[in-house]
Amino acid sequence: MKREWLFLCVFWLLATAAGVAFVYAVPLMPASNAEEAALVDTDMVFMTVMAVPVFTGVTIMLVYSMFRFRRAGPPDVDGPPIHGNRAVQYTWFGVSTALTLFLAGFGSLGLLDLRGHGALKAAGQEMVVQVSGSRWFWEYTYPAQNITTKEALVLPLGRRVKFEVTAKDVIHSFWVPAFRVKIDAVPGLTTFTYATPNRVGTLNDNVSLRVQCAELCGLAHGSMETPVTVLEPAAFDAWVQEQQRKEAK
Amino acid sequence: MFLVPILRGLVLALVGLGAGAGIAMAIGAATGAADTLEPALALGFVLALAGWLLGVGVWETMACEWFGCPRRAHEPSGWQRYFAFSTDHKVIGLQYIVTFLVLFLIAGLLAMLIRIEHLGAAAGTIMDANTYNYVMSLHGIAMVAVAVAVLTGGMGNYFVPLLIGAEDVAFPRINALSFWVIPPVVVLLLAAPLVGGYDSGWTAYPPLSEVNATGQLLFLMGFATFGLSSILGALNFITTVAKLRAPGMTWGRIPIFVWGVFTASFISLTATQFVFIALILVVFDRVFHMTFYQPKGGGAPLLYQHLFWFYSHPAVYIMALPGFALALEVLTHFSRKPLFAYKWVVGAFIGIVSLSFLVWAHHQYTSGMPDWLHIPFMVSTELISIPTGIIFLAALGTIWMGRLWLTTPMLFALGFVFNFLIGGITGIFLADVPTDIHLQDTYFVVAHFHYTIMGGEIFALFAGIYYWFPKITGRMFNQKLGNIHFWSMFIFYNLTYLAMFYVGFQGQNRRVATYPPQLQLANEVTSVFGFLLGLSFLLWVYNMVHSWVRGPKATANPWMARTLEWQTSSPPPVENFLHQPVVLHHPYDYGVPGAVHARTDGGEAHALGG
Repeated sequence: MKREWLFLCVFWLLATAAGVAFVYAVPLMPASNAEEAALVDTDMVFMTVMAVPVFTGVTIMLVYSMFRFRRAGPPDVDGPPIHGNRAVQYTWFGVSTALTLFLAGFGSLGLLDLRGHGALKAAGQEMVVQVSGSRWFWEYTYPAQNITTKEALVLPLGRRVKFEVTAKDVIHSFWVPAFRVKIDAVPGLTTFTYATPNRVGTLNDNVSLRVQCAELCGLAHGSMETPVTVLEPAAFDAWVQEQQRKEAK
Repeated sequence: MFLVPILRGLVLALVGLGAGAGIAMAIGAATGAADTLEPALALGFVLALAGWLLGVGVWETMACEWFGCPRRAHEPSGWQRYFAFSTDHKVIGLQYIVTFLVLFLIAGLLAMLIRIEHLGAAAGTIMDANTYNYVMSLHGIAMVAVAVAVLTGGMGNYFVPLLIGAEDVAFPRINALSFWVIPPVVVLLLAAPLVGGYDSGWTAYPPLSEVNATGQLLFLMGFATFGLSSILGALNFITTVAKLRAPGMTWGRIPIFVWGVFTASFISLTATQFVFIALILVVFDRVFHMTFYQPKGGGAPLLYQHLFWFYSHPAVYIMALPGFALALEVLTHFSRKPLFAYKWVVGAFIGIVSLSFLVWAHHQYTSGMPDWLHIPFMVSTELISIPTGIIFLAALGTIWMGRLWLTTPMLFALGFVFNFLIGGITGIFLADVPTDIHLQDTYFVVAHFHYTIMGGEIFALFAGIYYWFPKITGRMFNQKLGNIHFWSMFIFYNLTYLAMFYVGFQGQNRRVATYPPQLQLANEVTSVFGFLLGLSFLLWVYNMVHSWVRGPKATANPWMARTLEWQTSSPPPVENFLHQPVVLHHPYDYGVPGAVHARTDGGEAHALGG
């Protein structure tokens, strides 16, 4: 019996190590272009790593029991009448409670950062972009720059952007997969989210660098998207001036 | 003629529809309303529902008495019972099971259409975006209905009274009513394309569900009516378990499947009203141009989401709890060991029910609700993994050192444990706000809830179908074919849904015909395995139909199980047991010397003075 448990433990550790190695080796998340994405990705990898020992542990016990205790055909005799085991039950309860509370705490910290209450807040002066969703297009207004565009969401590198989001008809959802930020655009309500672009790029460099409607909004929901471009600050200023000239005409 | 009640119901339904529509149109014409189609359909449906129910049997078995005429309770016999307003819980259970399994297959075919569409990255592989949205929405709502009703209404109706040694449920006529409400629901959901279909998913968020085609109105009224059926059913289960247990069937001796249905019923009884209200307010907005959800008139779209999820999150436990319970039931009998930590499992069920009411807004992390709500809902949601963990402990503890008999139902129960493990773990990613913000509304969510509901509840359902097939039909199914069905379903199921997690991480929206072209290969893989998964069900259909007609006769207790339903004939007589059963010990005392769960020969009843 002791050797059996030793074997199971060693196998569990090996499987867990292999699982963790897999999590680090295979990039599940797409390429990113914002500080917030790094935060979400760290959380994602952390949770996946936490999940691996739970998954391997239960699966090994399940599959091992299935082979170890199987009987060919109908049983001639019953198993031992074990109704429970206090030590095992309390240990299981304690470990799962500790894991759960730990995860909840970890998630809370990440959340505070994402929603503008944590470390990222000091990143610099915010730039505001007003986002408005309609069936089936997005409109971006830069109040400080006094420009409005529907073609692309253009942002400067290294500056924290506050998106003020609303909708004109039905609920949409403002999502930039490369930033990992998503917030619903609700008629009658202004919601907000933040992103701090940290890598220059266009949709051609990273397919996730796009605004994608993430809330079902009817017929053309699937194609309600615009490209996102992150520019060096100087190039962004030039783009702003170009837009202002266009709108002045 | 066995079709008489149904034909009478149909005729009265048409009369009701005509009367309701006529009244609405007359009022519309008198007041100069521009468009009276939706008011006509709404009032027409209410009266049609009343007509259908009266015609199909409510008048004869219930309403007639209220007016002083004698009750004409002639129960048809033989197979004709299944087409009648029968009050036998076993007949009603089978009506539920067959109805919802047929709906399951129809909705499964829709899933096949969705997977064909996803062979191409752009919309239009086989259908345009509008058709896609309708097919996806119908697949969603039909499967939700199946998941809510097939285990409680179906398996629960048939087996809860048997498992507790009762002759029937507490309110047999209400039981029949709760089933006969359902055919109009199915008709509404399937008839919607005649008036434009609906394209807002199974969640039907306004304002979208207030500005789309009239088909949406049919969806709303169908869903709300289905809620009525759920509430009536729950009332019945709670009363039955509380009042009709056999002598000696103490709360500590109730089989675990009964606990699953009983605890889930508290959710159905108390939460369903919220979704009913949520849906009816959309109907009011549409029909009477009220503005509950229209910001222009002072309404709030977010209100709907809170009301909707206040029911619809607990509702996943209406699906899952009886699933957990059924899987544990099967694991115990085929391990020939007592259920590990029985009392803790019951506690876990109660804990899940209680917590389930406190987690609804985790569906709304990105909805724009106030920031301070995030952390409490994240914590409450993650707490659910503690009682859920106890269910895994019970499963593993039960099979450990058991004498495993790997029959088809046992394989499905073991498959349930594996699938639900993945469903549970991936749920944590969606409970955690930072990760959910990226994953919300992607295929990750689709994969997650299919793992919990299909991989979990539906695998448990199949465990139950194979386990109780000999009891229901009196015949044995083909075990070899059953095992092949399990392995093909299990393998193709996992291969289909694992790739969906990946495309979700990568940013593929759910509910769209269009997806980023670089994800086409992953989608094609999913589709191909999805088709194979679909084909695996043919093995099951063949096995069930063939075995029901031609299978070898089953004995009363082919699995040598201890619970009460096996201590009577297969199928059981109308009154379930020839003598009043008397319960003497715990149902799962396998290996305990001399322990007998119950006596059904009438001897012990006499000894106890019963």
